[in-house]
Amino acid sequence: MASIAPPSPDASRRNLRTGAFAFAGALAMLGLGYASVPLYRLFCQVTGFGGTTMIASESKAQRAAAAATGQKISIRFDATTAMGMPWTFRPTQATDTVTIGERDIATYTARNDSEFPITGVASFNVEPEQAGKYFNKIQCFCFTEQTLAPGQEVTMPVLYFVDPAMLDDPNMKGVEQITLSYTFHRAEDPVNPVPERNN
Amino acid sequence: MGQRDTRMKKLFLAAVAAGLAAFAPLSAVAQDAAPAAPVAAEAAPAAAAAADPAAPAAEASAYTPMAPTKGKGMPTSYQDDPAKSLTFQDQYSANGEYALWMHDMILLPVITAISLLVLGLLLYVVIRFNRKANPVASKTTHNTAIEVIWTIVPVIILVIIAVPSITLLARQYETPPADAVTIKATGYQWYWGYEYPDHGGIEVISNMLDEAAALKAGEPHQLAVDKRMVVPAGVPLRIQTTASDVIHAFAVPSLWFKMDAVPGRLNEKLLTIKEPGVYYGQCSELCGARHGYMPIVVEALPPAEFAAWVKSQGGAMPGEAAEAAPAAEAAPAAAPAA
Amino acid sequence: MATTAEGFDIHHDHGHDAHDHADHKPGFFARWFMSTNHKDIGTMYLIFAIIAGIVGGAISGIMRVELAEPGIQYLQWWAQFMGGANDVNTALHMWNVFITAHGLIMVFFMVMPAMIGGFGNWFVPLMIGAPDMAFPRMNNVSFWLTVAGFFSLLFSLFVPGGTGPGAGTGWTVYAPLSTTGSVGPAVDFAIFSLHLAGAGSILGATNFITTIFNMRAPGMTLHKMPLFVWSVLVTAFLLLLALPVLAAAITMLLTDRNFGTTFFTPAGGGDPVLYQHLFWFFGHPEVYIMILPGFGMISQIVATFSRKPVFGYLGMAYAMVAIGVVGFIVWAHHMYTVGLDVNTKMYFTAATMVIAVPTGVKIFSWIATMWGGSLEFKSPMVWSLGFIFLFTVGGVTGVVLANGGIDDNLHDTYYVVAHFHYVLSMGAVFSMFAGFYYWFPKMSGRMHSELLSHLHFWTFFIGVNVIFFPQHFLGMQGMPRRYPDYAEAYTYWHQISTLGYYIMAGSMLFFFVNILYALAAGKKAAANPWGEGATTLEWTLPSPPPYHQFETLPVITDAHDYHDHRPVTA
Repeated sequence: MASIAPPSPDASRRNLRTGAFAFAGALAMLGLGYASVPLYRLFCQVTGFGGTTMIASESKAQRAAAAATGQKISIRFDATTAMGMPWTFRPTQATDTVTIGERDIATYTARNDSEFPITGVASFNVEPEQAGKYFNKIQCFCFTEQTLAPGQEVTMPVLYFVDPAMLDDPNMKGVEQITLSYTFHRAEDPVNPVPERNN
Repeated sequence: MGQRDTRMKKLFLAAVAAGLAAFAPLSAVAQDAAPAAPVAAEAAPAAAAAADPAAPAAEASAYTPMAPTKGKGMPTSYQDDPAKSLTFQDQYSANGEYALWMHDMILLPVITAISLLVLGLLLYVVIRFNRKANPVASKTTHNTAIEVIWTIVPVIILVIIAVPSITLLARQYETPPADAVTIKATGYQWYWGYEYPDHGGIEVISNMLDEAAALKAGEPHQLAVDKRMVVPAGVPLRIQTTASDVIHAFAVPSLWFKMDAVPGRLNEKLLTIKEPGVYYGQCSELCGARHGYMPIVVEALPPAEFAAWVKSQGGAMPGEAAEAAPAAEAAPAAAPAA
Repeated sequence: MATTAEGFDIHHDHGHDAHDHADHKPGFFARWFMSTNHKDIGTMYLIFAIIAGIVGGAISGIMRVELAEPGIQYLQWWAQFMGGANDVNTALHMWNVFITAHGLIMVFFMVMPAMIGGFGNWFVPLMIGAPDMAFPRMNNVSFWLTVAGFFSLLFSLFVPGGTGPGAGTGWTVYAPLSTTGSVGPAVDFAIFSLHLAGAGSILGATNFITTIFNMRAPGMTLHKMPLFVWSVLVTAFLLLLALPVLAAAITMLLTDRNFGTTFFTPAGGGDPVLYQHLFWFFGHPEVYIMILPGFGMISQIVATFSRKPVFGYLGMAYAMVAIGVVGFIVWAHHMYTVGLDVNTKMYFTAATMVIAVPTGVKIFSWIATMWGGSLEFKSPMVWSLGFIFLFTVGGVTGVVLANGGIDDNLHDTYYVVAHFHYVLSMGAVFSMFAGFYYWFPKMSGRMHSELLSHLHFWTFFIGVNVIFFPQHFLGMQGMPRRYPDYAEAYTYWHQISTLGYYIMAGSMLFFFVNILYALAAGKKAAANPWGEGATTLEWTLPSPPPYHQFETLPVITDAHDYHDHRPVTA
């Protein structure tokens, strides 16, 4: 339709190249958007961002124990159940005082109050958030999904220690208590799906 | 299971039923309200009783909700005080006072001065350089000195602002001491639950009062609730927030306090309320249909009265045995903070 | 004066033949539905933006009327009107639908199409001396994707969205309210709407970048480009880098909603806070996407009506680049209360305040442009003066909100609402009206009424200030945003605010009457109706410009270097 002379092949090739570069930039950002999910998780796991706890190996635990100075810190245990999760979930003790560097064990109890088996999965963080990178779990019920039969009640342990390196971190100055928080969610269950909320 | 468990569960279910049936908060929305209210009363006697603060629940004999003070912990209308209606609510926490000082003494003067400067310059050029006054335009397009000045001066102003700003942040992030009174606020669609893990695991379910009940109780409508979050004044509080379903936000303007309640994670902040009083707040993160109908009421009491309130709720102060001795594993408070 | 429009007489050199070719237009359907002409597409974008603006503005009217008194007035009626149930939750859900639709429409279907699609399409090729956009067909695709997005959003209003018809998630579509919290297809359609509009904008951005890099007339170096072109270039880069992140985030929302993924669902190891990070990584550049083209227009207009080149041209151009770059590293200041640690919050506080510096450079440079000038107060100029003042007011409240510790009180209150309406509803919208009155004679070939334009300005200026200034007070008193109802203490300032809405709505009559008057009976516009201050290339063409322009490219020489400070001699 255009009565105007079409651009020279050279010019349109140049345009296509520039356009392709720009579009590639957009695609790269799209990829970065998706990549942010694992990257963010990794970032949190490495830096303790958002109060993400660390997973410690046996050898790291031993090194921490060796560095223990005998100083103590209070740990608070918190439990929440998410919407649609018919479990009673609570810590066995609200708080505990532990020696920094030494491993300790805390327990939670969970009971399935419903009439069918339910699989739960726990999300977690610690507060204050800067404590995340010093709070190490050696074993935790939160590492795997938990399935409870109707009415079943279990005691679930978490084996943890607080890294003595926190004593050298100015951001941890004045922290007297660390809260370890778990929220139990109902795992996706195709057999007994979460009932849709009837608003 | 422990009998408190049963009680809490009953209370909880009652409150949920009340919450579901509660067209009460919305009496303004005409016809639904009327038939719904009696349903709530039938299904949830506990919640319905609580809806009338003058009639204390059976076990809460020692506690009467504190009457709010006009203009304290709540917004002020233009009619009551024009000047107060233009600015922040009076502050009742040390950080709030500092933040308010920073706003009133630094930010507000600076932004007013900048706005007036720009307005003044605009008026000046309009008068001085309009076509009549200045028929021939100059061709000046550069003046290095002035360009450097208007880059450097804002930087200096920002640095001046940054000093108290960073100080304020540092203070807001001071961590609560180990023996701080811990309250966990959980956001639900659409009400708040307050747990006191160190006080015998008291759980308070807090629903908005309808207009009639609020007025009867002498409280501001839209802000009043049936059961308040009761805390001691003058001692550090460890406020923790989380949510059961979607994101909510726990906010009390007169305490300069706002913290999101995010499902699947716990947030925590230190709060010290300077003096006893009733402080109103509202959910501040869009959470669905009734986002505007889940207010927050913090009632700060002198510590002794707080202890009495704890007792009246069937709880116990840290170090004491809980009144209604439950089964061991259900009594987290039996192991107090060291 | 040599730097007048008459300086460019290149087009006329080619006489009548060129004109005949240039004005050959395709038939109606081909011209408007398969258009590849940047001016036609620009016109369609502007008409589309006006229609979307009427819808979005009407929704804000519904909201302001509802908020005029405490209690729920009309929401139940609206719920039934939209096909919802006659109950309280549905009524309240409608409120959330209205705030969501108002936000999405104004951002994605009013401001962006008008600024970039409308003025950008019309004037970027004209200002750089190009015959058209680099990819004319893609340009057409961009437009119709935007239209399709708008229809998808409108459609979402009439399908179930959980507690009632429509998506009630807020324009931010935060998970989990938008995933597990909203049952029904409405949110899916709203998300799909963003996909379509976003795809259109990404294609458009690609087009602008290619056009501006490759199709400038000989001699039009980057540092000679008009500032409006600079602003569109920076905006296009922001679009290109920010929108795909939104696309990724909302696609993950879609799969979380429909296909059982758990990107943002804690039950599957996801994190709702990550959605907020992704949204605001897009969302903060987005606010600059909405204002930068306005900066560009204001620069052109202020220079034109001061009869003076822009002061500190390079500083102005690179201030926009700086704003664009810094805009990518401040996103979490929208999330101060979500549970960030102290160091993160301190960083975002400091980084956010930095933006005030290049913004200040721009404000002062506009004033310096006028300083020593010979100011003429035609309608585009008064809108620009209004812009500079009101944008400053909106900017300084941004400095208040930048302080993380202060934001602990103001976050999600009416103070924030007031702030972003000062920079958008007065910043972006004032610049759009300024641009509209500046270029309307060029686009239509008709002069609008200066009287009506001035009346429009003054009534609009009063109206929007009466709406939004009291909202600062409400916010400081603690009134949360996104509330359909409020405590009685807030009544007075809400009433004032609603009163302002009536003034503003009435003021828009002047605008519409003005357009109709101009199209029906306006004086014919000269090639350059604004006189010697209007020096950019579009003023060298007739009004309206021929269907095809610059068949022979204009040559830009130093003599046309209207941004340089050197006195120009013919």
